[in-house]
Amino acid sequence: VSVRRHDNGTILLEGDCPVEDAEPLLRLLQATPVAPLDWSTCHRLHSAVMQVILAARPEQVGDCGDPWVRRWLSSS
Amino acid sequence: MNVLHEQFVTEARELVQQATDDLIAAEREGFSAERVDRVLRAFHTLKGSAGVVELPAMGLTLHAAEDLLGAIHAGRLGVTAAVIDQALACLDQVSQWVDDFEAGEALPPQAGEDASAMAARLRALLPENAARAPTIANPKAPIADAGLPDWISGLVEMQRAQISRLGDDHPAGLVAFSYEPHAGCFFDGGDPLGLVRQVPGLLALRVEAREPWPPLADMDPFACNLRLQGISAGSRAELAGLFRLVPDQVRFLDVALQALRPPPVAADDAGAAHLVRAVLEEQRQMLRVSNQSEDLIGRIGAAGRVAANALRHGRQAGLAEEIGEGRAAALAQADPTPLLAALDGALLELESGTPAPVGEDTSIGDDAGVRRGEARAADRSLRVHESKIDALINLAGELIVVKNGFAHLAKRVESEAGGRELARAVRLEHDAIERLTGEMHSAILQLRMVPIGQVFRPFPRTVRDISQRLGKKVALVTQGETTEADKTIVDRLFEPLLHLVRNALDHGIESPEQRHAAGKPAAGTITLRAARASDRLVVEVGDDGRGIDPAIVRRKAHERGLLGSDELAALSDEQAIDLIFSAGFSTTVEVSDISGRGIGMDVVRAAVEQIGGRVTLTSRVDVGTTVRLDLPMNIAMSRIMVVEAAGQVFGIAMDAVRETVRLAPDRITQIKQNEGFVLRDRIVPICSLAELMNLPALAPAPAAPESGERLLIVTEMGGKIMALAVDAIRDRLEVVLKPMQGLLAGARGYAGTTLLGDGRVLLVLDLKEILP
Repeated sequence: VSVRRHDNGTILLEGDCPVEDAEPLLRLLQATPVAPLDWSTCHRLHSAVMQVILAARPEQVGDCGDPWVRRWLSSS
Repeated sequence: MNVLHEQFVTEARELVQQATDDLIAAEREGFSAERVDRVLRAFHTLKGSAGVVELPAMGLTLHAAEDLLGAIHAGRLGVTAAVIDQALACLDQVSQWVDDFEAGEALPPQAGEDASAMAARLRALLPENAARAPTIANPKAPIADAGLPDWISGLVEMQRAQISRLGDDHPAGLVAFSYEPHAGCFFDGGDPLGLVRQVPGLLALRVEAREPWPPLADMDPFACNLRLQGISAGSRAELAGLFRLVPDQVRFLDVALQALRPPPVAADDAGAAHLVRAVLEEQRQMLRVSNQSEDLIGRIGAAGRVAANALRHGRQAGLAEEIGEGRAAALAQADPTPLLAALDGALLELESGTPAPVGEDTSIGDDAGVRRGEARAADRSLRVHESKIDALINLAGELIVVKNGFAHLAKRVESEAGGRELARAVRLEHDAIERLTGEMHSAILQLRMVPIGQVFRPFPRTVRDISQRLGKKVALVTQGETTEADKTIVDRLFEPLLHLVRNALDHGIESPEQRHAAGKPAAGTITLRAARASDRLVVEVGDDGRGIDPAIVRRKAHERGLLGSDELAALSDEQAIDLIFSAGFSTTVEVSDISGRGIGMDVVRAAVEQIGGRVTLTSRVDVGTTVRLDLPMNIAMSRIMVVEAAGQVFGIAMDAVRETVRLAPDRITQIKQNEGFVLRDRIVPICSLAELMNLPALAPAPAAPESGERLLIVTEMGGKIMALAVDAIRDRLEVVLKPMQGLLAGARGYAGTTLLGDGRVLLVLDLKEILP
């Protein structure tokens, strides 16, 4: 799984984040809704993962590592 | 192709055919409630099956057709030629897609576009759309400033600078898309963002929640609640190709570049109600797809939530509540039934509350399910692949050969000393086996028997289309559809019949004015009739048209140099008319696209003779023409005559044998190099089989009668009579003819081989190839 919690509480998305990552990501966000999200090393996001991010709107650490998402979706 | 897909292809073809039949009948006789019901059900079932094999484009088109028929059913729409035409066009399209699907397990890339266009044409006929038909009929027209919907102007606003920079580079304008993936798309491996990533020339994109995001605690991470909207500088065709698998979830709109400052447009209430229904139906379908337990809970949760949200969005809080209860019950029982029931209830409620055209959908759906079940129970037929039956037939054929061997064995036993008793026992057993193999063989052949109605079915449509094109009025009457014949015969009949019917339409039936002048009813009649005559199948194609004038046939035959004028004068009228079966004869000079495709009646005769049939034609000027096809019921067994020439045995198909005669030498006359004799006032030329087969002439066999009598087999092929001189006639047999195989496959002159009782191979001659 490419989603995990960093020791400092930040939620990390790394590498290729497939559809299965949506659920653990949601669980982490449900547990700590204020935790920031670091997606700078994630280079590909599945729609389901993006959907969780759009719904939870966590604070973002750095820019998304997926250039397409950074270009089109970071501001939305 | 897996079993499910195969079944879909077969079933879809049947449904298309049935719906076509009913539509044609409806045009002729009007739509009875029962008939429109049946057509509607056919469309509905087709739509359902298209959903199962995941052909959304087909589903989209069929849904629109269903709406149209629903309007007829509800009495909101009259049946016009335009409606029938469009419904038939829709079936043609579906039929084409089924072919594509069978060939490549997928629809062509442009299917989504075609589906949308077809759906728009169908919907344009709906009474509520008739007024704005022109705009719908041309969905590709770029929308003007005033019509630019909110969502597009929002997108334009987002990227105004970039879009204005495009200037004149894109005179064709831009394409806006709005993609609302199914809530369950993640389960099917869908990644809507992944799809949108591939959009060529993306200029603006907005991804938002379709329904307001629920509190994080209630969120179902696997229910897609996204709406993806964007503007692309790519072509519409590129986009359609990209979204080809989800045509029902995406909308395209062409945007003219000038349309940059549009006034906002009010939201469309009726559209919202439609959307709510669509969302609810979507959920229902998703729940019905399968009952795999691992994702069932997730799907129940998602479907219930989406449906409730949609209802709240459509200001139906009460119904949303009910859905919520159904969802809770379904989750508790891990069974989608309570939720499905709640969804059905909500859809019914919505239907009674809104005058939306989709209204009939649900009630008919359930009804159809019940009745389909009944129909299934009544028709307890079994679908078996042809090859399996053929394997059985081959086995039964081999058994018959083995059985014949017993007779031979009995003869041998008898000739040995003291074998008489044993021979009798063997013969008794032989009789028993003979009876059983005979019964078995005919029972198996029976499996291949299909009603001739199968081949008649496409004709009402053909006659309708062609007669419309020719401006003639023609009614088609079919009789004896239940007459059965071997599948091969029935299948091979289609081409000749099609040609005959086209001929009748084109050359036979006159124009309404001509008919009027001749004192006939304006509408001509073409009759397709099948009947059983002892062990033969007789199929007739008749028309009440102008008939064939033997004088014209004679003149044409002379012009084309088929026969000299003396020969022509000697022909009776019947024989003259028979000339139209000669190669290179066509009674109409100009080649039309209906019957004159360079194929003449000679091809019909050849095709029918190939399956062991005969064609005859009777015609009376101004009364009409009837072509009669006389066919065997099955071709698996053939009756042959075994003859001997120059010490070798050959088989001759009994079909070709008219009679056998013994002739005293003085009755044979020498005509130049050839011999001939007179049989009932006709001169019959004689050929020696030994010479034809290039066999060395032997000294007269001892069996030959000393009187010098000749043994002749009189044959008739294609209207030509010939006598074949042979040394002896042995047996008459019923055999299973096997085509020539291996090295001999290309050998001309043989119809096939069969095994004789003593194990020898008998060559069966193809007289048509051999006779000069």
